[in-house]
Parts: sequence; structure tokens; C-alpha cells
Amino acid sequence: MQPVIDARIFIVDDDASVREALAWLLRSRRLHSQVFDSAEAFQQQLESAPGAAPEQPCCLLLDVRMPGLSGLALFDWLIERQLQLAMPVIFLTGHADVPTAVDAVKRGAFDFCEKPFSGNVLVDRVEQALARSDSLLQARRHAAKVRERQTELTERERDVMRLVVAGLPNKLIADRLDISIRTVEVHRSRVFDKMEVASAVELANLLRDWQG
Amino acid sequence: MTQESQAQSENAGTLKGLLPAERSPSTVRRRTLWSALVALVAALLAMLVWLAGIYEANQVQARLERDVAEAVGDVRAVFAHNAQGLQALQYSHPTPNAWMIDAGTLLREHREILRVEWRDSALQLQAHVDTPFRVPAFDRQGRSDVQSEVVAACANARRFSGPAYASSYFMPMADGLGLEVMEFCLPLQSGANVTGYLIASYALRDVLEGSLTRPMTQNYQISFTEGDGTRLAVFGSIGRGSRIFTARQLMNLPGTSMVLRMDSWRATPDLFPNVLTALVTAMSIALVSVLALLGKDMRRRFKAEHDLADMLAFRKAMEDSLVTGLRARDLQGRTTYVNPAFCQMVGFSAEELLGHSGSAPYWPPESGEEYRQRQLIRQAGNLPPREGYESVFMRKDGSRFPVLVIEAPLINAQGVQSGWMSALLDISEQRRVEELSRAGLERLQATARLATVGEMASLLSHELNQPLAVISGYAAGSLNLLRADPQGAGPIGSEVRLALQRIAEQAERAGKVIKSVHDYVRRRDQVREAVAPQALLDAILPLVHLQARQLSVRVRAEVETGTPCVQCDRTMVEQVLLNLARNAMQAMDSPTILERSLLIGVRAAKTNGTGKKWVEFSVTDLGEGIGPEVQQQLFKPFFTTKAEGMGLGLSLCRTVVEQHGGALEFAANSPHGTVFTFTLPAAGVA
Repeated sequence: MQPVIDARIFIVDDDASVREALAWLLRSRRLHSQVFDSAEAFQQQLESAPGAAPEQPCCLLLDVRMPGLSGLALFDWLIERQLQLAMPVIFLTGHADVPTAVDAVKRGAFDFCEKPFSGNVLVDRVEQALARSDSLLQARRHAAKVRERQTELTERERDVMRLVVAGLPNKLIADRLDISIRTVEVHRSRVFDKMEVASAVELANLLRDWQG
Repeated sequence: MTQESQAQSENAGTLKGLLPAERSPSTVRRRTLWSALVALVAALLAMLVWLAGIYEANQVQARLERDVAEAVGDVRAVFAHNAQGLQALQYSHPTPNAWMIDAGTLLREHREILRVEWRDSALQLQAHVDTPFRVPAFDRQGRSDVQSEVVAACANARRFSGPAYASSYFMPMADGLGLEVMEFCLPLQSGANVTGYLIASYALRDVLEGSLTRPMTQNYQISFTEGDGTRLAVFGSIGRGSRIFTARQLMNLPGTSMVLRMDSWRATPDLFPNVLTALVTAMSIALVSVLALLGKDMRRRFKAEHDLADMLAFRKAMEDSLVTGLRARDLQGRTTYVNPAFCQMVGFSAEELLGHSGSAPYWPPESGEEYRQRQLIRQAGNLPPREGYESVFMRKDGSRFPVLVIEAPLINAQGVQSGWMSALLDISEQRRVEELSRAGLERLQATARLATVGEMASLLSHELNQPLAVISGYAAGSLNLLRADPQGAGPIGSEVRLALQRIAEQAERAGKVIKSVHDYVRRRDQVREAVAPQALLDAILPLVHLQARQLSVRVRAEVETGTPCVQCDRTMVEQVLLNLARNAMQAMDSPTILERSLLIGVRAAKTNGTGKKWVEFSVTDLGEGIGPEVQQQLFKPFFTTKAEGMGLGLSLCRTVVEQHGGALEFAANSPHGTVFTFTLPAAGVA
């Protein structure tokens, strides 16, 4: 029963048996989880971690009603730190808290799950949340990569790249920048090398993804 | 209003209307009468004084006449007496020398005679004697000057054949003064022949002095005058008054027309010339004073009467306009007085109510016995409660209504209790209001019960859902493992899988049952409306005040101006406020806490960055605060510090607030006590 996906699932619930049952259920689907008995404990863990942003896909199973800091308050705290997207939150609610949970979803929570949850439905939602987290993290990594590659370009190369992405032929680029076509071609090939693309279309896609 | 009381009020109206209207003509008439009276009294007084003056003058004149007659008599008597004395000198036919001795004696006795002469029939002087009291005047002057008077007197005497007088003449004296002298001639007869004459010279002033009595000379000025009024001799005191009374009488002496005149006088400034006038004046003054006093008294009486009537009318109007029923009963329990308000209250007329002893017509028949007992207790001298007692009366139409009776002993002017005075208030309206507020109270309490049940269901469902979630989790996990394990495909595996599936199904079923119960209890959860914070406070404050009075807590409610309406379930939020206020007051119910103040505050909360507006409610007490070990469990269901508490109050509050999306928090208040704060969304933004 080793976790196969390199993901982290946090469970915050004041009821120990619920925590354990959830962890066990997730483990039965090969999902690794970490339990906290209160919102404060989880806060502490996050604050003591070196990087504020999570490195791996993660997900938070959060009980709404707890003594001390409530689930909602913790959620607000996450929103303040803009962590609610990289770390999708699934609220665990009783019947009484449904309206509150609905409200929380409107404010950016991934979902809520009414107790008693029926077995694998919750695990399925957890996996979806992890997938969302994963894609978000990948997108961020990609964006970071593009940003990094762009920094390697010289001023002139960046100008050429902008015009290439705009779809201008080499001749026009040369006219616009008042340089020779030969020079444009040299710059162009360097840009392709540095940005690790093979064609102008590929380059345009890369930049669009990063910007989008 | 009954006919009788209407008539009464009309009477009061006309009485009030008449009094001022009658006043001005009566004032004019009274003034006229008064001035006429004063004029009459003044005229009477003047006339009395005048008549008294006249009467007095007449009196004085009459007395003067009487006195003058007397004086004339006296003077004549002196003259007659002297004549006889002179006659006596000749009785023994004396010699001139002897005669002179006798005449000297006579002169010594009669000072008024200046000189006596004995003359013969030819008027030749035989002998003469001068008075020893004076310087002999005739020696210096000579007798011849007055010969004519002597002749005239003797001629008269001869003619009358008896003594006669001559007109007086003035004889100057050596000292510059003079004497008025009158000659008297007595013929001496022997048979029918006149043998000689005795001549006597009288000093007229000395005649007056010698003949008149002292009182007369003191009171009057007495003089001899000629017939034409010329004064010859004056004697007596000289008066200074200007009112002179004069009486004259002829002396009727033969040979002369001399008149005796008497003058009497009165002082001018004498306002009250005599006692009678003074008496009349005094009595008149007394009469006027008495009249004035009487008038004043009458005026005062009139004014008092007027004031009394005014007061009476005012009292009457006051009585009639009272809403409080008034009823007086004597010591035997008979109704002696009722006011219109009471009549109106019970619907009986005053005649129907007055004089009833025993049971009154407004006593409901079913309580008659009880009321009679109450009255007997009162008559025995037991004071009724000062704050009054409640009773039920019956209207004429038979309907019952509650009254508040405040009864007090009726003490008369002599300080003796003469009965009982009751003020009666119809409290049916008050009752109705109380009923209404009680209904409101009951509604709040019913809601509280419902909310508690709901909270219990909610808590139960939460508490049960936890283990159910655990069960369901383990079942699902077990199924997952069995599916993954190759051994799970065996016969035992399939049996176990079936069992696990059943377990999961049953857990789910139990969850659904709980949910349906919960939904049933909480079906009104979704009611949200915009409510002004003040309206929320207004709904709970009466209840809060009720408890605050019991615990002697001062309650303040402050809504910050500009606080928006809140979007909430009104009934539930009222419960939250009520619970928190109640907790706060109970927190201060300790003998060590002296300042008991509860503050309920409402204000717009600071936005928390999400753009949503919130309203913050706070309930602050000055109690002992919350200990750390209690703080841990404060919101835990079924946790309580109160003996009779269920431990659901704060839990309920938190649920309600969280259902609205708000948060319920508490903090220590400085210097002591606790502040509970919760937020609710403002209306019109969400």
C-alpha cells in the first residue's frame, strides 16, 4: 500500500476516528495523506514549510466545524495567501453546514462533501482535485520555464521574437528593425535554440500558453 | 353618560355661565346704591349738625333773654332799694349836719352812688355828701355843668309825683378816664307840697358791678345803652368769638329810656358746638363706618360665594372629566357617591347605584359572596392594600371587566372616618395589552424551544454523522483493498465484499434518515429578510428588561447611526441576541458584582476584503469573565456552567451565525467581563 502518485493530501478534522478512517480510505486507493487535528496545527505546518507555494499536487480535506479556528476561517486564511487554487479545498460538512459550504464553493473552494460520504465518491473528488492541482502546478512550472528562457534572450533577439510571433516574414522584420535579412535569420535561429522550439508556430503556442 | 349626569353637567354649565355675566350690571347698581347712601348719610349728617346748631343758638338766646330779664330785675331792685334808703334819710326831718352823717353812712354802703344832695324846693343845695370811694369829681369840675340834668330829673319827679331819673351824661375824670353818670331825683313831699329834693348821682358802671351776680358778669358783657344803641356803661368779660348773641331789655326807669343789653358769644372754630351735635356726628360716623364695614363684609361674602361657586364648578367639571371612577361608601357599606366616570364604567345611572347596601348592582352574581366578605373585613377596620387590589365588576349588560380598586379611608373635617373612598380604574385595555405582550413572549419562547430542538437535531445529526462517516469510510476502503487484492476474488472474498457493501449501504441509509429529520426541523432555515438592527433589538428588549429588573441590571442598547439593515432569519437572530443577553446578565448575577450593566451594541463592521458588508453585533457584560478551561469547551454542545442549562445556547448561537455566513467570537472585556461579538451580512449587497 505505497502511494503511487506523488501527491500530498491534508486532512483537517477534530474527530480522530474520522481522520483515521479518511486516511485509511485514501490509502486503500494508494493516496498518501497527512492528518491534522485542528486548523491551527495545519497553519503551523504551512508556515514552518520552507516555500510558501506547494511543489507537488496537493489537496485539503477540511472539516467545517471545529473548535478553535473553524474550517471557514482557515479557508479565508488560505485565500489571503492565494493558496486556494494550488491547494484545492474540499469541505467536509454535516447537514447543518450545507449553506455555508455552498457559499464557500462560490468563493473558490473546490467542492464540499456531506457526511456521511459514500465511499469512493469522496476519493474520486480528491483525485479530481489533485488533477486540478497538478495541472495548475504544471502550468506554473511551464510559465516559469518560459520566463526563464526569455531572460536568456538578448534585447535584439527579443525584438525579433516578438515580430516572428506576430507572423512577419524575415524581410519585413529586417526592414522594421533596419538590419539585414541575414542578421534576422541568425537571431531567429538563436531564438529558436534558446526557447527550445523548432518552428515559429511552436514558439507562438509556447508564449500563448505562458501568457494565458 | 346617563341622563342624570348629563343634567348635572348642564347645571354646572349654566351656573358657570351665569356668574360672570351677572357681575357687571350688578356692580354698576351696587355702586349707584352705595353713592346714594353715602350722599344721603352726608346730607343727613349736615342737616343734623345744622339743626343742632340752630337749636343750640335758640337755647343760648333763650337763656340770654332769661338772664337779661333777671339782670333788669336786679338792677331795678338796686335802684328801688337805694330810693328807699334815700327816702329813709328824710324820715326824722333831720338837720343838714345830721343828714350828712346818715347820707355818709348810706354812701359807704352803696358804692354806686357818687353823691347825694339835699336841695330845697327851689333846687338850692342844702347839704351834700360825696362818696368816700372816689375823688370827689364835682369839686373839681363844679356842679353847675350838670345843673340841666338835675333840673330835668327833678322836673320829671315833679311831673310823676315820685322819684325820677334823668338821661345820663359823661363826666371826665382826672385820670383821663370818665364816668357815665345818671342823676336821680327824689321829691320830698309834705302833704301835697314838694318841700325839697334828694338828688343822687349814680355811676352807671358801678350800678352794674354792684347789682349783678358774679356768674352773670363772667359769662356776659352787660351794658347800659341808649334807645338808639349807644353804649353808656359796659361791664363783664370781653369775648373773642365772632358769634355774638344779644338780648336787650328796657330798664323802664321813670324819666329815662335806658336799655340793658347783654352780649353772649361763641368761638368760631368750634366744629361741634355742643354735645348733641357731637353725639349726632359721632353716631353718624359710626353708622357710616358700620355700613362701610357691612358693605365690605358683604363684598367679601359675595366674593367668597363667587369663588366657592367657581371652585364648585371647577370641581364638578374635574370630576366629570375624570376617567377614573370614584365611589364613596359610608361605614355601613352604602354607596353615597359615584362620579360620572364610574357610572359610565359600569353602565348604571347614579340613582341605581346610590344608597345600595349589601351587594351592589355591579357585582357579578357569582362573586357577590366573596365581595361581601371583603367588605365585612374592611368594615372591621382592616386597611386595604395601598397599591390597590384587582377585582372584577359587571356592566349593566352583564359583561365582566377587570378593575383596579384603590381604596382609602374617608376622613371628614372632624378627623373621624366617615366611610371609604375608592378610585377605580378599568384595566381591561391594560389586560389586553398584557395579553398581547404575553403572546409575544410566548411566541419568542416557542421559537426558543423550536430553535433548541433544531439545534439538538443538528448536533445529533453531526454527532451521528461522524461515526457513520467513519463506518462508510472503512467499508469503502475495505472494498477498494479487496478489489485490488487478487485473493479477494475468491468465494470468501465475494462474501466479505457483499457484507461490506451492505455496511456501506446501511451507513448511507442511516445518514439519509438523519438528514430527513434534520431537514424537517430546519425547514425554515432559508427564510432571509432585510431587518433593521433596531427592530431586532426592539423585539427582544422587553424580555431582556424583564429579566434585567429581576437581576437589577442596567440595560443599554446602542445602534450606531448609519448601520445598514441585516439580511437574516429574523426569528433565529432574535434568539441569538436573547441567548447572549441572558448569558451576559447571568454572568453578572453574583453578589460580588456591584456594577451591573449590559450593553448591546450594533455597528457596521470593517470589511474583510471580500467586498461584502457586515454588521457587527456585540453583547458586553461586566461579569467575572470566562476562565481558560471553560473557554476551551465554550461552544461544545451540551457543555454548560449553569445548573439548569442544557448547554445548547451558545452552540445554537454559533450555528445560527455561521448559517448566515458570519462568525461568533468572544473576548475579555476590560476591566472585567466578556464581549460576545457576531457578524451578520448587511442587506442589499449579497
